[in-house]
Amino acid sequence: MKHLTLADEIVVLMLDDTVGEINPGCISVAGVAIAGGVLMELALLGRIDSDLKSLFIVDPTPVGDVLLDEVLQEIGAQPEQQSSAWWIDRLSTRHTDLVERILARLVTAGILREEERRFLWVFSRRAYPQVTGREEREAKARLMSVLFNDEVPDPRDTLLLGLARSTDVLSAILSSDELDKASARIEEVAALEEIGRSVGLVARQVREAVTTIMMAQYH
Amino acid sequence: MEITSRIDGDLIQFQVVGRIDAATSASVEHAVNAAIGGGSQRMIFDMREVNYISSAGLRAILIAAKKAKAAGGGVAVFGLQAGVEEVFTVAGFGKIVPIASSDADARAKLSA
Repeated sequence: MKHLTLADEIVVLMLDDTVGEINPGCISVAGVAIAGGVLMELALLGRIDSDLKSLFIVDPTPVGDVLLDEVLQEIGAQPEQQSSAWWIDRLSTRHTDLVERILARLVTAGILREEERRFLWVFSRRAYPQVTGREEREAKARLMSVLFNDEVPDPRDTLLLGLARSTDVLSAILSSDELDKASARIEEVAALEEIGRSVGLVARQVREAVTTIMMAQYH
Repeated sequence: MEITSRIDGDLIQFQVVGRIDAATSASVEHAVNAAIGGGSQRMIFDMREVNYISSAGLRAILIAAKKAKAAGGGVAVFGLQAGVEEVFTVAGFGKIVPIASSDADARAKLSA
């Protein structure tokens, strides 16, 4: 793998290192974040562009990444232009295996290891511990640099921050004091990119829907 | 899109005409790189004749601001049309790149 895509990076950040699984707090929005990450990567690669109303293809040339090209083709096949939020919702609900696909490619790339672990002596579950943890450290370092250096952020780091904010992984990376200190900067930078704002919007909607369902079951 | 420039000491003013989007953002980045290579650290984008800006266009301005700041200068914009101003406002872009009311205001903001 040449470099990690934003979808790969957000999955690495969402993994709970102690158990090798997606952090429970991120599960409901993991697909949304990956869908957003795929669109962001296509935007950075000059294949799609967006504005306040719609997301559109500017160059249909495949990028050489199976998942990205699949999504690029899907956007190209849609007869009418739709918004970024529409695409994030569509991709995350239609492609229910996004998390598994990213985990599998991270295993293939040698970034994660796949293990069968037992719990309660009987049940087994698949875990994905990191091989070296270097990729997670690098992604965290970039996020910290964006948040605590007063520099103009790089577009890729801006987009990664948008994903990290939407999935709430920042609360696992930063202490509560750091989170308080960085809150204004998080909002400032995460708002810069249109797809980042759309990921935040769809993630909020998903969390609200999950909360409503849980409340209904409780009552 | 057309982009022309006028150099005034270490300040360069770009006059942009048309759309700034994925198809044209490379021209903006090229002009910015040439300006920095030529010693200009402070940049003003005259946007009076820009009628559309997409995410890729906004990203090109962000990259310009990053490079100018790294070189010890900065970027300011002025003359935003209503639709373009809406894009800047929704993105909160004014917190990163000063949005000025005129050429003189842009120069003042970059000198501050």
